[in-house]
Amino acid sequence: MSPSIAKNLGLRLLYAVLSLLFISFITFVADEISPGDQATILAGEKATPEAVIRLREQLGLNRPWGVRYVEYLGGLSRGNLGNSFHGTREPIVDIVKRTLPMTITVATCAILLAAIVGILLGTIAAVTQNRFGDRTILIVSTLGVTIPNFVLAPVFVKIFAVNMDILPSGWSNQLAGPVWMYLLMPVVILAARPMAQITRLCRASMIETLQQEFIKLARAKGVPPLRLTLRHALRNAILPVVTAIGTNFGFLLTGSFIIETAFRLPGIGATAIEAIKKGDTPVIQATVLIAGSLFVLINLLVDLIQPTLDPRIREAQV
Amino acid sequence: MKGLFWLGVSYLILLLLFAIFGPTMRHDYLNPVASPLQPPSATNWFGTDEQGRDVFARVAYGARMSIIVGFSVQLIALTLGTLVGVIGVFGKRWFRDPLMRLTDGMFAFPDILLAILIIGVWSTGLVPVIVALSITAWPGVARLVKTQVATLKDREFVVSARALGMPTRRVVTRHVLPHLTGILLAVSMVDLAGTILAESALSFLGIGVTPPTPSWGSMINDARAYINTQPLLLVWPCAILSLTIFALNFVGDGLRAATDPRNR
Repeated sequence: MSPSIAKNLGLRLLYAVLSLLFISFITFVADEISPGDQATILAGEKATPEAVIRLREQLGLNRPWGVRYVEYLGGLSRGNLGNSFHGTREPIVDIVKRTLPMTITVATCAILLAAIVGILLGTIAAVTQNRFGDRTILIVSTLGVTIPNFVLAPVFVKIFAVNMDILPSGWSNQLAGPVWMYLLMPVVILAARPMAQITRLCRASMIETLQQEFIKLARAKGVPPLRLTLRHALRNAILPVVTAIGTNFGFLLTGSFIIETAFRLPGIGATAIEAIKKGDTPVIQATVLIAGSLFVLINLLVDLIQPTLDPRIREAQV
Repeated sequence: MKGLFWLGVSYLILLLLFAIFGPTMRHDYLNPVASPLQPPSATNWFGTDEQGRDVFARVAYGARMSIIVGFSVQLIALTLGTLVGVIGVFGKRWFRDPLMRLTDGMFAFPDILLAILIIGVWSTGLVPVIVALSITAWPGVARLVKTQVATLKDREFVVSARALGMPTRRVVTRHVLPHLTGILLAVSMVDLAGTILAESALSFLGIGVTPPTPSWGSMINDARAYINTQPLLLVWPCAILSLTIFALNFVGDGLRAATDPRNR
């Protein structure tokens, strides 16, 4: 590894760490300025003001905020996210462990679907530029970008769960069929937006690449059309698409609130919404922190992958 | 393109009239007026919902909510974003660099997470929604204004105005900002669509405008339970929301094409 690549890598890592600190700081401050602190809620509604003050001292809430922020960071580094305000005061780490896999599964399936279909449609559109296939794909992908998930979800439920009765309308604790049947609609709907974006980006990038000299040369040499499209053009056009896949994956992981609420999926997004309705501040804080950190880490990963895909970036950094 | 622009403009004018007069034109939007889940009729044009309230009046009030939230958020975001964008070019270095870093960071961060955090620790309701969406909306405007102002800064008329000793504040308001009205108007139309979608999404999740005040998002959420018995309940808010988003995008695209000097 050359020194400049190492320096670049170091800068990216530093930036990611700063972003993570920033997110932790924002979630901490959000709790600070929210009305009512832990002591008032833990003491209960009937507690005297003196009891609340005593509890606040016991919990160490009367110390300066700087001290508590460092303590909060220390807790985070040990994997301690605090406890829920409600019910059995379950440790939030357990809640995250229970709900995060669902969110990650749905988002991963959705981004895979979006990437595969998006690249395929984008390539077809670029090859059939301005003809029927291209026009249709463009119109459909415009709709995909514009129509929101919470409109698509009930429409899909109406068609596939109510009228055709081939898919369940939402998650339930006793699953009456294979898991994929419950995840199919959420995954497809979640994939719609990134799929449309990837299609449009892939189309634009392919059209640009297909006009390059080396494609003309390859065509003149008699490279078969399919090989020309896949090996010569797509390989070169894919880089911006990979970046878009990465950013979209980040947004899918953090934007699972709507789809999980619409299909009652027990994921981290639905947990956050429940927490807001119950006024469970530590859980809201923790879910935003987790989702935000995931977002930063995925973007870091995309930054790190790029040079390995494109020799030009590798060279440029040397 | 021009056809779509004028189609969008006419739709938005109709929507504005609908939002102003619709909620009280024929029926109350908060209280039952007929038996529940009725199909459209001569008295209740869009039918009635699960509580027997007039859907026409409720969709109209939802339009009013969307417009109020959308315009407030865009107004705040434009003001704050323009201010930060101008400071990003003309401000003192020790102040503008950290400020632009913060702007970039907030721009990259997913809007919905920030909005959920703000609403989560504060409260649900109209004002928290407007504040949360404004806080997520201004960084985009600030970045746009910054790049635009940075190119204008080196143009002859700005350089000469400054050379003549005109105070920076006056240069900005008299010679720089007027050039931005076109593009800001175009962008804020598209952003307005985003804000209206975000408000509906929050209301759909049940953390937006407080019921029983109607909002398109909460109407879509409520209608899901009656998808078998009265699917039309779902159709009205979904259709009008989608049409509004399309219209705003058409108008935004049209304005952008009209204000882009390359098209003159």
